[in-house]
Amino acid sequence: MAATALLPQPVSAAQLRIASIDWGLLETALAIGVVPAAATELRQFARIAVEPALPASVVDLGLRGSPNYELLRILAPDLILISGFYEYQRPSLERIAPVLALPIYEAGRPPYPLAQSSLLALGERTGRKEDADRYAAETAAELEERRLALHSFASRPAFLISLGDARHFRAFGADSMPGDVLARLGITNAWQDDTSYSAAAPVGIEALARVPEASIIVLAPLPAEVSRGLPGNALWNALPAVREGRVAVLESVNHFGGLPSARRFARLLADAVTREPNHG
Amino acid sequence: MARPIPLPILLWSGLGLFACALFGRKVVAQWPGLQSGQVVDLDSVILFYGLLPRAAVALLAGAALGLSGLLLQRILRNPLAEPSTLGISAGAQLALALATLYAPSIVARSSAAVAFAGGIAAVALILALTWRRGLEPVSVVLAGMMVALTANAAGAALILANGDYLFSLFIWGGGSLVQQGWDPAIAIGWRLALGLGAAALLMRPLAILGLDDVAARGLGLSLNASRLLLIALAVWLATTVVSEVGIIGFVGLAAPVLATLSGARSLKQKLVAAPLIGAVLLWLTDGLVQLAAGAGGERVPTGAATALLGGPLLLWLLPHLRLFEWPSLERPAHTARRAARPWLRIAMLGMAGIGALAIALLLGQGPHGWSLASGDVLADLVAWRLPRVVVAAASGSMLAAAGVVIQRVTANPLASPEVLGIGAGAGAGLAAVLLFAGSAGLGWQLAGSTAGALVALVVILVIAARGNLGPERLLFAGIAMNALCSAVLAAVIALGNAQSYRLLGWLTGSTIQVTGLEASVVVIGLVLITVPLLLAGRWLAILPLGAGRALAIGLSVRLARNTLILIAAFASALAAQFVGPLSFVGLIAPHLARMIGLDRSRQQLAGAVILGALLMMLSDWLSRMIFFPYQLPVGLFASLLGGVYLTLLLGRGVQRRG
Repeated sequence: MAATALLPQPVSAAQLRIASIDWGLLETALAIGVVPAAATELRQFARIAVEPALPASVVDLGLRGSPNYELLRILAPDLILISGFYEYQRPSLERIAPVLALPIYEAGRPPYPLAQSSLLALGERTGRKEDADRYAAETAAELEERRLALHSFASRPAFLISLGDARHFRAFGADSMPGDVLARLGITNAWQDDTSYSAAAPVGIEALARVPEASIIVLAPLPAEVSRGLPGNALWNALPAVREGRVAVLESVNHFGGLPSARRFARLLADAVTREPNHG
Repeated sequence: MARPIPLPILLWSGLGLFACALFGRKVVAQWPGLQSGQVVDLDSVILFYGLLPRAAVALLAGAALGLSGLLLQRILRNPLAEPSTLGISAGAQLALALATLYAPSIVARSSAAVAFAGGIAAVALILALTWRRGLEPVSVVLAGMMVALTANAAGAALILANGDYLFSLFIWGGGSLVQQGWDPAIAIGWRLALGLGAAALLMRPLAILGLDDVAARGLGLSLNASRLLLIALAVWLATTVVSEVGIIGFVGLAAPVLATLSGARSLKQKLVAAPLIGAVLLWLTDGLVQLAAGAGGERVPTGAATALLGGPLLLWLLPHLRLFEWPSLERPAHTARRAARPWLRIAMLGMAGIGALAIALLLGQGPHGWSLASGDVLADLVAWRLPRVVVAAASGSMLAAAGVVIQRVTANPLASPEVLGIGAGAGAGLAAVLLFAGSAGLGWQLAGSTAGALVALVVILVIAARGNLGPERLLFAGIAMNALCSAVLAAVIALGNAQSYRLLGWLTGSTIQVTGLEASVVVIGLVLITVPLLLAGRWLAILPLGAGRALAIGLSVRLARNTLILIAAFASALAAQFVGPLSFVGLIAPHLARMIGLDRSRQQLAGAVILGALLMMLSDWLSRMIFFPYQLPVGLFASLLGGVYLTLLLGRGVQRRG
């Protein structure tokens, strides 16, 4: 399959027209200066992942779970990027163009190292090896810088959650990107239970009381019901973290992102914590 | 009446005590100071703001639903009316989802008002559809089911189109009773108190509304004003529960029925008993859910658990229910004149089918707008479009064939794979297979869903035969079966593993990933189903006339019925594999065939099979084109089309009568 891209008159790697089904790889491509011809759910991407900014030339392919194959066929990319989630689409996608599967999320494995090797592999494949190397190094350096800035915050464990309604949350574990970055920033994750985050059932907020000394980091978006209901939630208000002002609400971060999401999360967290004197 | 304490009161007290014991166990475990290593202060917070209000909400919400169900059943003189069968809960939930997306400031101000608006809109729609049929119970419940399913389909489309699928779907329809404060308990509590007060004040009109209209008018009652006031009250109670804790099914249905079966005779007794029984039911269910919960959270939301318990209860109760006497269900109003040359019409239908196939393959949107494909582009696109169009068409045909068979075997014009819960049964079978073997291939999946469909159909028919159910009760049994199987699916989906995704995809129906392999499987399946059915045309013609006539003609009724049922179950399961359980094509296509004058068994079958293919090709095309490049599941569009048709069907009856 991959051979078709290397036929007699090879498309030079720098001119590869790529399409990305996976959001994490879309981020990664944009970060090293590769603008995909097409990618999925762009409106939602701009709302949830926020950065990197999307050039207007990228065509929206529809839902990640059911991309529009006809449209993709007409656009005729040279290479299609997927991750393990979308393996089931491979037979259809391979009818259009060679498929490159770069893993970021695998059950029980921290995603950061996988995201980094996927970044490097993509750089190699698209002729942007130097950009990729530089981006990986910058990311590592930035995380280290943030880790030092968060030194005092890291004295306590922290819950890293998103809120579905005013009564339930979902915890990010070490197998999620924000959870992995949290550990890299030297902060202990207060949530030690089972964390197949991607589809675990929401848990009642009282579970946050299990680790009273922990801080709480909330990832946006917050549904309207939460902003109405949470301030009046007696149990929430009784949590030591809430009473002592150890709650940080961060802007939205792509839950299934690559290195750009890792940087975004680290930056948002450091900004939020250093802005508010209460923390630590 | 009797001196010793009556048995039902003992029974309910016992169940109440059991729920109380489950609650006590939790309280003891959480009692401040008993757990080492915990901050005492936080323990008491969890006790006073978590456990206690949760018990209070369970009791109050159960009572509110019991009262709401009692009022609705009384006013509509329909033993199966309740917030979830009437689509009130689903309407409220959809309104909340819409407002959350498009008017978050309103939700932030008052979600209860939004939920009430949604619930009232659902009821208003149902009443408008069935008012001039005199609110005949079957029409009301069918309209309610349609409203509920359409609202759910629209809600699922909203979630899919907005990408937050995972999180929202678990809370969607969740009905979790987790509490962290007293606000919801207070909100439900004062409305319940007001509702009970109002019901007590309106006792006289309420009692009279239980009689028939003529008697009520004779007593000088402004019938419609009292009716509407009481309905609004019931909706208010139910939507408060939805906005505070989500959808909780079946309590509103079961509580009043159980009150009656427990010996509550007068309205006053029922007004006391139904809320009490509702409270005990929900408290007990919630206690069991908490008992089964692990450290990672509750595995089944309480709202799904009530349906899991309520579905079998309803099936068991059906033969014991006393239905009010209503003019029996008419044959569908559209007994159009029989076509003079039916096979010519069928040939014309076939031409239309080929035309639709051509349009589905040729016409579409691309990056530069609409175009008719031709030449190389066409060859290219056909490779993508053909398999899914074929799968959609063949699935529609199979559902239509199953519909014709089921309508004829049960002699009930409103029966169909979807209405009787056979599609949902296929889903439960599929869920079982996926639970035991996550990587089961298409063959095993089909075996599982066929078995599920068959079990559902056989259970319904056995219950129908045992209880000597008329056409109305058969439909009610179908509604119970739908609810039961949906609860099984909801419980499995709540497990949140890889199988959950498969089931979610299955539920909404998707032809997006199909290839030539699936296309050939369904085409072979379609041939295996329709050819024997066309040969068995005589059976299909004779069975609706009743067993007596059939025997007199010398037909082995048992053999004929069993063969046909097996074929119908297989057809429903195979179709549901690709287009999901909720398409309604199996209900509509046989009706449409009749409407164009094809009413002999073979002709109806042939016509319905072509019409089913047409309808499903249309749904598939719409699902690809409406939100281009976003593709929505084909099952959603098929059920929306079905909703529109059912509305027209009920409306037709209006004109005939009025």
